[in-house]
Amino acid sequence: MTTAPLVGGDATIRFVDVRKRYGRRVVLDGISLEVARGGRLGLIGPAATGKSVLCKLACGLEEPDGGTIQVLAESVVGRREADLGPLRRRIGMLFQNYALFDFLTVEQNVAFPLEQRGGMTADAIAERVAERLRAVGLAGSERKLTAELSGGMKKRVGIARATVADAELVIYDEPSAGLDPVTTQKIYDLLAADQERTRATVLAVSSDVVALARFVDEIAFLYHGKITYRGPAATIADAPDPLVRQFVRGDLEGPLEERGAEAAT
Amino acid sequence: MIGERLVSGIGASALRITQEVGGIVVLTGQVLRALVPPRIDGRELVKNLHKMGNRSVPIVALTAFFAGALMMLQAGPFVKKFGATSLAGWGAGYAVLREIGPILIALMFSGRVGANNTAELSTMTVTEQLDGLRALAIDPVKFLVVPRVIAMMVMLVALTVIGDLVALAGATLVGRVMLGIDWSTMYYSFADNLTPYDFLHGVYKSIAFGAAIAMSSCYFGVTVRGGAVGVGKAVNAAVVAAAVSIMLLDFFLTYLTG
Amino acid sequence: MTVAGFLTTRITALGAAVLAATRAGVELWLVYVSTIAGIVRGFSRKNRRNRGELARQLHAVGNKSLVFIIVTLGFIGMVMTYQACLQLGRVTGDYSQVGSQFLRLIVSDFGPTLTGLMLATRVGAGIAAEIGSMKVTEQIDALRMSGVLPIDHLIVPRFVACVVMTLALSVIGSLVMYGAGGLTAQYSFGVNPHTFYDLSFIRPRHVVLMVVKALAYGAAIPIVAGFCGLRARGSSEGVGWATTAAVIGGSFAVIVLDFIISAAALFVTGGDL
Repeated sequence: MTTAPLVGGDATIRFVDVRKRYGRRVVLDGISLEVARGGRLGLIGPAATGKSVLCKLACGLEEPDGGTIQVLAESVVGRREADLGPLRRRIGMLFQNYALFDFLTVEQNVAFPLEQRGGMTADAIAERVAERLRAVGLAGSERKLTAELSGGMKKRVGIARATVADAELVIYDEPSAGLDPVTTQKIYDLLAADQERTRATVLAVSSDVVALARFVDEIAFLYHGKITYRGPAATIADAPDPLVRQFVRGDLEGPLEERGAEAAT
Repeated sequence: MIGERLVSGIGASALRITQEVGGIVVLTGQVLRALVPPRIDGRELVKNLHKMGNRSVPIVALTAFFAGALMMLQAGPFVKKFGATSLAGWGAGYAVLREIGPILIALMFSGRVGANNTAELSTMTVTEQLDGLRALAIDPVKFLVVPRVIAMMVMLVALTVIGDLVALAGATLVGRVMLGIDWSTMYYSFADNLTPYDFLHGVYKSIAFGAAIAMSSCYFGVTVRGGAVGVGKAVNAAVVAAAVSIMLLDFFLTYLTG
Repeated sequence: MTVAGFLTTRITALGAAVLAATRAGVELWLVYVSTIAGIVRGFSRKNRRNRGELARQLHAVGNKSLVFIIVTLGFIGMVMTYQACLQLGRVTGDYSQVGSQFLRLIVSDFGPTLTGLMLATRVGAGIAAEIGSMKVTEQIDALRMSGVLPIDHLIVPRFVACVVMTLALSVIGSLVMYGAGGLTAQYSFGVNPHTFYDLSFIRPRHVVLMVVKALAYGAAIPIVAGFCGLRARGSSEGVGWATTAAVIGGSFAVIVLDFIISAAALFVTGGDL
């Protein structure tokens, strides 16, 4: 099995031999992965293979059972919760299920990371939030509660919140799950425009390979707890690895094995 | 302005409470109608009897033990002051059998079994399993609610009987260890001063408590709205409603039979 | 299955249960320690937002439980007086001590303990449901991503609100119980209110006991509930489980604390309570 090509010392994310299991189920079985600064990496793989777990490990939201993880030149393994705060504030994260605060309005949700980071006046925060909400096409919904929003709108609030603080690393966990094709394309255009502007490093997880491939530079394939393939996004449908080809094309015949249908965490 | 808000607030709560009480009454009616003719899903009933009864024995026994012990501790000062060791069992036993025992056991049962039942039913409701049953022409009240109501009523009575005995044991133990009252003194103190009627008074109240816990827990379980947040709120509402019903029923039953 | 095999599985199961309980106990303790540390941090750092949250929690715990506490404690006060008078009437017929002894029991035990039990149900379940929902919808992770400590942000304000409000509601609940008991004694047994409302048996140590108990329950309920909420996993059934566990854990904590404090008080005062 090949591991990711090394990209030198300038990596924003560096996983070395990371292992994670829940009970007896091994989710990540020695993952090594690097994403260069300003790079855009897409992560694909069958359901319940630990893509979300990998995202959470990168922010220190979960502890690995083994291996080292460096993000933005800092180690995230074995550190106390209180020490990780400053690092996490430099990372933007879009959660799979939005994870919007249901006790806050749309506006307050987006403002939350800025308020917690401090160092900005209330006016500056309000201006920044308004700009972000315009960018994601939610101007006019500022004072709504998140429960009143549709799935696509929630996703866009999540994106606004993840990008409001101009994070150096942005992690998108399933930015297009459950959205129709048109909305999906709009979301990816939005992500691409944002990345052009901030030059942030991006890690994006998605099951929608076609739309994802237009957004990222490279795609990695996570299978049976390992990164089994990594290659340019543009030619992913013609990848030399038969597993990846089958997954991307959605063929029924091929070497892919079904694994126990346990829910991803 | 404040007065206006207060009045409208009270009105809104009154409406909500009326609606909930009405809903519980309607569900009770449906349960009673489903019992005529009495055709109950036997497997579902046995499963619930086991789950609600057997698995609650440890927590009920512990609660009852502490209830008995606490009442004896409260009787302690009298015993010390007046040397009335022979009456210690009377005070503690009377309080435990008639009031503290049934109420504490019912509250614990509501927390353990009622809340669990609400969580289970409401999860089924939000994941559309109840609609699935209806699509198969199975009446969810008959299939899910009736066995649970019967199981809860039967098991609360059984647990109260067990709990009463454990509570008296707890009282005796504390009396011996902390107040230095002989085993035999305590036994005669119970035997001479407590009548079977004191025991029955607590037991028959537990039938009513069981019905109240069952109905409120099932009602909030099948009427839940809105995902995980809704499930949490439903469980909360069910245990609060059960606690209020227990206190109200206790009051009325005590007066009616006093 | 052979006897040895049966024993082995039983012992393994018991060991696993003990291990799980120990781990849970350690986690519970960590939540408690972190909460205390969070309060200390909160005092040293002036945070306006947190003060608004504290006011909101005080309202949610206190004001919104007021009617519930008045109704439940009022009714149980009536029932207890009724039962006591009934029994006394059967034996001696002398009601002169009912009020003063009832007050002593309310202040030193029933008032704070029944309030605590009721709050474990109402407030404990509410806290667990709220925090559990946030946990399973990843809102807790989102908080952490903004560099916020979930315990400081979620549990500390609820903890402070619970400690304050359990004490306040214990006082109110005790007054309601005593008042309701007096009315019952007067109307059902013809006891003179002047005889019933007799404060001569109350001593400072009873009031101290009430305060200690209320503070202990007020501290235990939010910690247990918050711990259960933070442990929620999965989706809706996880929240349901957390809420159930909070009610049971909170009620049981109240009962056990009551026993410990009462026993300690009896020991300290040499039985002359």
